[in-house]
Amino acid sequence: MDPKLSEVSQLCELFKAALVRNDFDKCATLLSQLKVLLTAFRSLPPLFEATPSAIHELTVARDIYEHAVILSVKTEDQDAFERDFFQLKPYYTDAGDRLPQSQQEFPILGLNLLRLLVQNRIAEFHTELELLSASALENPCINHAVELEQSFMEGAYNRVLTARQKVPHETYVYFMDLLAKTVRDEIAGCSEKAYDSLSINDARQMLMFSSDQELSGYINEEHPEWEIKNGHVIFQKAKESAPCKEIPSLQLITQTLSYARELERIV
Amino acid sequence: MTQDVEMKEVPAPAPSNSVTAATPSTLQHLKEIASLIESGAYAREVRRILRAVRLTIALRKKLNASVVNAFLNFSLVPGSEVHARLASYLPKEDEHDMEVDTAMSATTALAKHSLPELEIYCYLLVLIFLIDQKKYSEAKACSSASIARVKNLNRRTVEVLASRLYFYYSLSYELTGDLAEIRGNLLALHRIATLRHDELGQETLLNLLLRNYLHYNLYDQAEKLRSKAPRFEAHSNQQFCRYLFYLGKIRTIQLEYTDAKESLLQAARKAPVAALGFRVQCNKWAVIVRLLLGEIPERTVFMQKGMEKALRPYFELTNAVRIGDLELFRAVADKFASTFTADRTHNLIVRLRHNVIRTGLRNISISYSRISLVDVARKLRLDSPNPVADAESIVSKAIRDGAIDATIDHANGWMVSKETGDIYSTNEPQAAFNSRIAFCLNMHNEAVRALRFPANSHKDKESAEKRRERQQQEQELAKHIAEEDDDEF
Repeated sequence: MDPKLSEVSQLCELFKAALVRNDFDKCATLLSQLKVLLTAFRSLPPLFEATPSAIHELTVARDIYEHAVILSVKTEDQDAFERDFFQLKPYYTDAGDRLPQSQQEFPILGLNLLRLLVQNRIAEFHTELELLSASALENPCINHAVELEQSFMEGAYNRVLTARQKVPHETYVYFMDLLAKTVRDEIAGCSEKAYDSLSINDARQMLMFSSDQELSGYINEEHPEWEIKNGHVIFQKAKESAPCKEIPSLQLITQTLSYARELERIV
Repeated sequence: MTQDVEMKEVPAPAPSNSVTAATPSTLQHLKEIASLIESGAYAREVRRILRAVRLTIALRKKLNASVVNAFLNFSLVPGSEVHARLASYLPKEDEHDMEVDTAMSATTALAKHSLPELEIYCYLLVLIFLIDQKKYSEAKACSSASIARVKNLNRRTVEVLASRLYFYYSLSYELTGDLAEIRGNLLALHRIATLRHDELGQETLLNLLLRNYLHYNLYDQAEKLRSKAPRFEAHSNQQFCRYLFYLGKIRTIQLEYTDAKESLLQAARKAPVAALGFRVQCNKWAVIVRLLLGEIPERTVFMQKGMEKALRPYFELTNAVRIGDLELFRAVADKFASTFTADRTHNLIVRLRHNVIRTGLRNISISYSRISLVDVARKLRLDSPNPVADAESIVSKAIRDGAIDATIDHANGWMVSKETGDIYSTNEPQAAFNSRIAFCLNMHNEAVRALRFPANSHKDKESAEKRRERQQQEQELAKHIAEEDDDEF
C-alpha cells in the first residue's frame, strides 16, 4: 500500500479512538493534520482522478470527514459543522455511485437538516430536501427532521418537544436542545399576540420553565414590555402600539404624478 | 460532366418512385433555405438566418435520409472532411439515389461551399434528423462534433445557428440520460459566448445549464449560477419563457412564493400557444405556488383547452385545500401520489398540509364568533396524542402570522374571533388599484418597445442585388487591406 495512504489510515484510527474517548484537543490536532495530508491525494474532490487506489482513498477520506462532523457536534461548534459537512458532501453526491453506501450517510444528512432548521434557514432546508430520493425520505433519521419542520411550520410546538424523546441518533440531542430554545421564543412571540393575559402558572407551563423565578427572569430579559400583575402575565401593553391610520399623502401624490406622466407619453 | 448526369438520371426514378412525390419539393425547400442563409451571411443579416431556422423546423416532418443526403451533396464539397463525417451518421439505404445527386451537385454547387454558415446549417439539419429518427447515439456524436466546430467560429451570423445547435446538443444527451456529462462543456461554451458578446448564445446556454442543474434537483447550484450570470434584454421569446419557468421553480423551492408566482404566470402567458406541454407544466407549478400563498386559483385555470386532464389531480388538490379538510387532502395526495412524484412536486404538496390547516381555521374563525379549542381540534381533524394543546398553539401561530383575527382565552379554553373590519377603511383597495394601473402601463410600454421598424426603409433606394454587390466589394476591399497588413509584418 502507498506509504502516504497507510499513514493517513493510521492517523485516522488514532483520531477515531480519541473521538471515542472524547479527547477533543487531541482530535482537533489530529484532524488538522489529516486534512493537510488529504490535500495530497489526486483522487479526491475536486479532481476525482481515477488513480488505482481511488476507491480506498475516497473511503478513508469520507470516513475522516464523517467523524469530523460528529466531532463538531460533540464540541458544539456549528460553524465547524457547516465547514466539515460541505467538505463531506461531494463524497455522497459526486462519488456516491463509486463507493459502497456509508452507514453514517443518513444520520449526517438528517443532522444537517436539523441544523438548518435550528438556524431557521428554511429555504436551504428545502433545497437540501429536494436532493434526497423518495427512499431516503423514508429513512427514520431524515423523516425525523422532515416531520419536525412540518410541526414547526404548523405551530404544533409540543409535537416538536416530544420528538426529543425519540431521537434516532445520539448526536441529535445537541440540536434538539437548541431547537427547544427556538421553540420557546416562538411560543412567547405567538402568545403575545394571541392572548390578552395568562396566569403565571399557565405561562410557566407553556414556556416550559420549572419555576416562577426562571419565568420572571426570562420575561425581564427577553420581553420587558410584558407586565406581571395579580398573578397574571399581561401582554396587552405590547398590542397598544397599533399604528394609527393616516392618509399616505406623499405616496399618493407621487403615484398620481407618475400616472399623469405615463398618460402623457401615451397620448 | 453533364452527359454523365443525364445518363445516370434515366434509371434513377425507377427505384425511388415511392419518394419522388415528396422528395423534390422538400429538397427544393431546403435549397431555398440554403440560399436564404447565403444571402443572410453575405448581407450580415441575422434575421434572414433566423427565418431559415424557422422554415427548417416546419420541414422537419418531411425529412428523410435521401433528402438530407441529397442536400449535403448539394451544399458541401463531396469528399471533403465535413461531408464525409456528416454522411457517415446517416443511414445508408438509397445508395443509388445518392450517386445521382453527387454528380448533379458537383456541377452546380462547386462555387459556394466555403461558407461556414452553410456548414453549420448542415450539422443542424443532420442533428435534427437524427433526433427525429431516434438515433440518439449518432446524434450525440454529431452534436459533439458540431460543437467542437462552432467553438472555433466567431461570426455574428453563425451565432443564431449555434444557439440552436447548443439546444439540440443538450437534448440529445438528455434523451440518453447523460445530462451530467456535458455540464462542464456547457459552462465552457457559456464562457466563450460571454467573451464574444454573443447574447443569444448566453441566453440559450444559461437556460440549458439551469435545466441541467434542475434535472438533478441541484437548486443551490442553479440559483448561484443564475444570480451571477450576466442578464440583458431577452432576444428570444422562447428562451425568456424557459428562463422564467426555471426561475419560478428555483424560487418556489426557496420559499419565495410571491416572486415565484409572478415568474410562473408570466412564463405561462408568454409561451406560444403551440407549446402545450410547457404551458401545462407552468400551470401545475403556478397552481401549487398560489395554494402555498393561500390563494385559491379560479376554476378557469383548470378548464383551459387541452389541459383539463393533465391538471385534474391539481384541481382535486385545490378543492381539498379550499375546503380545508385534512382527510380529503390526504386522500387526494395518496390517490395521485405517482403523478405528483413524476411531476416532482411531491415535496411541495407535503408543504401544503400547513395551508390546509390554515384555510380550515380561517373558515372556522369566520363562521363562529366563539368556539372551544376542543371543537377546533375536532373540526380540523388533528390526529395527535394531544389535539387540544396542538390546536391552541396552531391557533396562536395563525394569529401571530395574521391569518386570522382572534384572541384565545386560555382559562376557558376557547377562541374568540374579532369583528372583521371594513376593508375600505384601509389602504388595501388603493394598493390593489395601483398595482393594476402599473401593470397596464408596463404592458403598454413593453408593447411600444417591442415594435420593430425595417432599417432605413425610407431612404433605401438601391435594390437588394446592388446592395449585395456593394457589400461584397467592401468585403473584398477589407480582405485586401487585411492581407496587406499581414504582409507588412
